[in-house]
Amino acid sequence: MYNSLSPIRSLIPVLVVLIVLALVPAMGPSNRMLSLAISAGINIVALYGLSVLFGQTGILSMGHAALVGVGAYAAALLARDTGIGFWLALPLGGVFAAIAAAIIGIPSLRVSGHHFVIMTFAFGQLLTIVLTNGGDYTGAATGLDLQLPVNFFGARADDLMPYYFVVLAFVTLSAVASWAIINSSYGRTLRAIRENEKLAASLGINVGRQKIGAFVVSGVFAGISGVLLAYFLRHISPSQFTSFPSIYLALMVMIGGARLLLGPIAGGILVAFLPEVLNLDPVESRILYGVCLIAVILLLPNGLIAGAIDGWQKLTRSSTRKHPGTQAANAEHASEAGR
Amino acid sequence: MNAILEIKGLKKQFGGVAALSGIDLSIEEGEILGIVGPNGSGKTTLFNVITGVHKPTEGQVSWRGRDITSLAAHEVSGAGIGYTFQQAMAFPGLSVRENVQIACEHARRSSRSYPWTTPSALLDFVGLTALSDEQAGILPFGSLRLLGIALALATRPSLILLDEPAAGLNDRETATLVGLVKQFPAYGISVCVIDHDMKLMQMLCKRLVVLDFGSKIADGLTQAVLTDPKVLEVYLGGAL
Repeated sequence: MYNSLSPIRSLIPVLVVLIVLALVPAMGPSNRMLSLAISAGINIVALYGLSVLFGQTGILSMGHAALVGVGAYAAALLARDTGIGFWLALPLGGVFAAIAAAIIGIPSLRVSGHHFVIMTFAFGQLLTIVLTNGGDYTGAATGLDLQLPVNFFGARADDLMPYYFVVLAFVTLSAVASWAIINSSYGRTLRAIRENEKLAASLGINVGRQKIGAFVVSGVFAGISGVLLAYFLRHISPSQFTSFPSIYLALMVMIGGARLLLGPIAGGILVAFLPEVLNLDPVESRILYGVCLIAVILLLPNGLIAGAIDGWQKLTRSSTRKHPGTQAANAEHASEAGR
Repeated sequence: MNAILEIKGLKKQFGGVAALSGIDLSIEEGEILGIVGPNGSGKTTLFNVITGVHKPTEGQVSWRGRDITSLAAHEVSGAGIGYTFQQAMAFPGLSVRENVQIACEHARRSSRSYPWTTPSALLDFVGLTALSDEQAGILPFGSLRLLGIALALATRPSLILLDEPAAGLNDRETATLVGLVKQFPAYGISVCVIDHDMKLMQMLCKRLVVLDFGSKIADGLTQAVLTDPKVLEVYLGGAL
């Protein structure tokens, strides 16, 4: 029964994983591995936002990379035009992406389901077009460079190793923020909307406003992820924020499992490292992702981690020969257990 | 008598179909009003229009003298009208306790003393305490109905609209339901109930309204309405 699992305990698996990730640099990884890990971490920050939107509220966005792009361009433009650096750009990037999410969300969330997915997809493309045609201001198709350093208490933190820890700190913050949302009355409100909008409204929940709110919250995560990305890559261009990366983000959150706290970490790491581990070229890896996505949707609708927990429980339960009804019920519980 | 909800000339068109063709109805404070009628007579549409799920084509709904015709569903709930659905009574993927907890967290503020302000009190009242850790989606149908009632009660309504609350229940479960609903007026909750089950209506309601093809064809004391020739014709084709 998942109520016996106290909220604090549901945080433990994630913290353990994060501690392990903090020890990775000590194992002397190659620069390539480290930079893959940083990319994965930057994605994971955005994925935590997407998990609030998709996992908790049940809304899928196929334009999330555009919100990451808003954060990234905010960082680059702030640095170029105002000299505002990394640490101030982080909250500002979050705010700009949140505002963009509100502007997209207010008209788009009047429709639901597939229609909303198409709207976000279209807005994602629209941003790319705007950035590409922004002339010198946005650097057009070439994009923008970012030259300001990342300082941490006076020391440079741009190098791979220190930046890995900066990103890991934000992954930790995102995970804890997501955990706090899931276990709050706000999180319950979002789940109520996911489960049954009509019933939620009958209980006094302003469904429209809450959905826009969830989109805005996910935008904050995306914006921060964008700032981290801009300062990591040092050069950003419109093509990085088209609908293709958006689909990748949706794919990652589905593969990892959108409702579980570990889901975004699992999805982000798997999608970043699987092609590397299996030594696939980009075309092959796209095919692999497609196959993975179909397999996950058909076989493990709650994602890999939930699927693994379910499988383990079924394995241990079948030995004790419990009532089949309760067994299925418990497996269902397990899938939300780690929330 | 003191009407808390007044409906005047309510019309609802769905394309060329008139689901409601001009209904006048009032619900008195503290009563349990029954609404019956054959399938497609407009009962559920009436509830949907009152609760803001659908906007009426014409007509007015007043709640304690205030026009609530154009309010959204969540605002109607906030005004003090709770309702239960025929289907989809609860949040299936969440635990029973979490279901009720959500409803309690969104309850309107009200100064009146109310016995069901906590999840525990609500689960205790509807008899679901033992199932509170179960996932709502796997509950047997009767328990799901009771959970739906607990959710509506959590909003601290002054009027509760029950849409076929006994559909799919066995006799014992129906008796439990009747026992619960009969207590509502004592706590300041008026009731309006839709059902086909005439036995249930006789047990619950002093007053009965009959709808047919979107119009009200009878409104009066239950016994009188049930012997009204017009009503018998609708239900039994006039064979009695």
